[in-house]
Amino acid sequence: MIDSITQKAGIIAAAAFGVVLVSSAGFSIALAQGLPEGFKKGDLAPEPSADMIEAGKRVYFTKCVWCHGVDGAGDGPGADRLWPRPRNFNQGTFKIRHTASGELPLFDAKKPIPGQNDLFETVTHGLPGSAMPSWEGILTEEQRLQVLSFVTTQLVKDRKFTDKQSETQTVLQLADLKPKPATDESKKRGSELVVERKCVECHGMEGRGDGNAFNLKDDWGFSIQPADWHKCWNFRGSRQDPYNVANIFRTFSTGVNGTPMPSFADNTTVDERWDIANFVNSLCERDALGNPLPIDPLTDKPKINFVIPSDLVEGEIPVDIEHEAWQKTSKRYVAMGGQITHKPRNFVNRIDDIWVRSLYNDKSIVYLIEWDDRTKSVAEGKLPWAPTQVNIDVKEQDPKTGEEGSIAAHQNNYTVYNDAIAIETAVKWKELPAPIKPRYLFGSNDQFPVDIVKWEADGSLRAFKGTGWDKDFEERDNYEESMKLLKSEWKNGRWYVMFQRPVGNKKDQDYDEDTFFEVGQYIPTVFFAWDGHNGDAGRKMAVSAFFYTFMNPPIPQETYIYPAVIAVGVVLLEGWVLTRRANKKKGKTL
Amino acid sequence: MKALMSLGALIGVAGLVLLGGMIFDVIPSTTVRLVEGYMPMQMLFEFACFVAGFAGLSYMMSAVGMPFPRFWQGIGFWAFVLLYLKYRVYPPIPFSVRAMYGTVTLVAVFMWISANEEDWKKFKQPIMNVLDAQTGMNKLLRYAYLVLLPILIGGFSYNAMKPKSEEPIELRTVHPAPPASTKVHGKTYTLQTSQNPYRVNPEGKYDQEFSNANIVEQGMGRLMKPNANPWDDKNTGYLKYVREGGEIFFQNCHFCHGDNLNGRGLHAFAFNPIPANFTDPGTIAQLQETFIFWRVSKGGIGLPNEGFPWASVMPPWEQHLTVDEIWKVILFEYWHTGYYPRTWD
Repeated sequence: MIDSITQKAGIIAAAAFGVVLVSSAGFSIALAQGLPEGFKKGDLAPEPSADMIEAGKRVYFTKCVWCHGVDGAGDGPGADRLWPRPRNFNQGTFKIRHTASGELPLFDAKKPIPGQNDLFETVTHGLPGSAMPSWEGILTEEQRLQVLSFVTTQLVKDRKFTDKQSETQTVLQLADLKPKPATDESKKRGSELVVERKCVECHGMEGRGDGNAFNLKDDWGFSIQPADWHKCWNFRGSRQDPYNVANIFRTFSTGVNGTPMPSFADNTTVDERWDIANFVNSLCERDALGNPLPIDPLTDKPKINFVIPSDLVEGEIPVDIEHEAWQKTSKRYVAMGGQITHKPRNFVNRIDDIWVRSLYNDKSIVYLIEWDDRTKSVAEGKLPWAPTQVNIDVKEQDPKTGEEGSIAAHQNNYTVYNDAIAIETAVKWKELPAPIKPRYLFGSNDQFPVDIVKWEADGSLRAFKGTGWDKDFEERDNYEESMKLLKSEWKNGRWYVMFQRPVGNKKDQDYDEDTFFEVGQYIPTVFFAWDGHNGDAGRKMAVSAFFYTFMNPPIPQETYIYPAVIAVGVVLLEGWVLTRRANKKKGKTL
Repeated sequence: MKALMSLGALIGVAGLVLLGGMIFDVIPSTTVRLVEGYMPMQMLFEFACFVAGFAGLSYMMSAVGMPFPRFWQGIGFWAFVLLYLKYRVYPPIPFSVRAMYGTVTLVAVFMWISANEEDWKKFKQPIMNVLDAQTGMNKLLRYAYLVLLPILIGGFSYNAMKPKSEEPIELRTVHPAPPASTKVHGKTYTLQTSQNPYRVNPEGKYDQEFSNANIVEQGMGRLMKPNANPWDDKNTGYLKYVREGGEIFFQNCHFCHGDNLNGRGLHAFAFNPIPANFTDPGTIAQLQETFIFWRVSKGGIGLPNEGFPWASVMPPWEQHLTVDEIWKVILFEYWHTGYYPRTWD
């Protein structure tokens, strides 16, 4: 008996020793090859067939050439007005990979397998936050592989995907690495590591991409900005699955080739990388309960609710954002696009969303607007035109990239104007005849003007009247006294602006000029935003679609009375049915 | 037969588990992706699978001696249709439409269970049993219903009456009635007689047949014909102008209408509703080129009052483009989607 126990113990000890031996041997091999933790050597994929390449050319010249250019140099006709710019394929520099920093991405024309084919996944899922769309459902799997065969062999010119002399593949074994649970402890360690590893130098103290934002350039000398960790749906490598921590882990492990974002594989352990990924993932915007925002599969951005609810407050409206009343109201995601309807058009829009909350009392309505802006901009130069002016003849950025005055040349050195935010409401929104929705921007005509309230970073809060897209705004001096700026603060890459305006009423306000905010009604509301460091001024700005401010009415008494009456009615009905049935069974008829 | 039915049952169970998981958010709703372009066919296929699955399930259960009562079959199927429409179909269907489908399904279910006297009896038997309350269980149920029904109905009506803010639905008229003529950059164009000056053969003559022969191929991907590459430098006529139109499109239009002309451009997410999808056979494929010329030149602002509801931010492109550029863009849009413009005759 004892014998057998010692024997077993001996075997176990030997086995354990063996395991230690083998694993340490394995470890030393890994070290000898200089592989970072979590990586393994991979083989270069075989060259795609000539048929695939030829077929891919056809796909390329139908779909891709318009932005990526004839020679794949990222200089197609669309490129000059895009930011981020289309990829220049020639150098073989690709951002989203499973391979070590500086290496070519994984691509095998015969293996469209997620996790083993980086370029295929990029084409399939697109690059959110850029103009590269998801091609799934547009091109077949075969066509996607074909076009990549063409790009990797014909347009990548400086490197060769099959050259064993010059290329290596060190592949992150993401599938084998189990994500660490996102415990508070892990996130806390991550939050310390991002400071220690200097992530915050570029990504900012709160991760809004505001650190060092204006000095970064990519390999081609174009302006590039650090990711805003609070908008994970804009991560290029999010693969249409933005809240998946593995995507962050991968980007952090492999770096982003061609940009200042290095790989951290060499100086962090896998465990530390999960902590950082968990922390970064935890920063992405979530709903009030801490759940990921629902993502709209049509746009790969958070789903939008176009109603901005405003809650009733008794007495004064609190100025403190931490106040219970503000914490309890719903915060709405308002998507912003570039204003590309009227000149000067804003092709390169840098404010793509704002967050809006609202409260009201019997006299005023208050909007609290928060948005990420990497730079606080207060005007240095003088605006070449009045901000109220319609600039039909303004010259747009026509020059091509490389020439003076192009968008690419302008990035980072525009004259700085004021950051600003504005709310446009239709004045007579109740009387608008059906077809005359307040014409998207700037009002319909003299009869149906819009009321615009604009805050600027110099601290001004002004009111304007708009009477049509082709008319200058009129400034309304007499109204400005009745408004109040309650808060305006820029902190770590985010603006917090809160202002108050009268709700107005038909009797003692001039209803012809002011919007009357009526309780329980849908009041058409549009938001404008300007980023002063992006040269935004006048009509070069970001705009939202039509939202509706809805002031939640207090619950009327009838809401309690009628359901009770109905319930009593149902009880009576039940009694009637039961008696009828009982009588019928007894053979009686009523 | 049995093997077939058990396969059906398997499909049914798997489908129900998936749907249940999606409803309770245990399984991400993207597990089985609805791929744009295939969505309606995919839905019909799924639905057929479910029906086959239910048939199999029901058969297997009665084979092992535990048949589903007709009563629960009817109610279960109705509930399934409602849940499927609400939780599976994307983009979401508005409540009013779901209510319509729900009613139709209810009628269908009633027709099914009342197809013959026996079925109908089977269906109403459980209701009668509860009303009569002959057994202890039924008595309990009866009291439970007596209490629950008023509470539920009262609760629903309270919910319905509570002031709420639902999103107003934004609609758009796809084909507003065009005017007889339109004036662009000082020149009047009669819609019925104008022609795209760039739809020409290499000899420079207006030639619809030539251009139709050189558009992209219909079918998945909509790729160019192998010998009709607009980027070929030797092109003259139609294909040369297609390329010029494409350059204008990718400097002005793709921000909203998208790289693939499907209305999913860079800024599209900020729109409500999202921009027009030209690859949909219901948009430019239904229209004449001159109609597009009028819409592009005048934009959302130029829409006639009869054309409402319109939620269009399309700029009047005459502010930004010349007449020639507008014609070329239109040429490109038809080339890239592979549609022929409609003609007046």
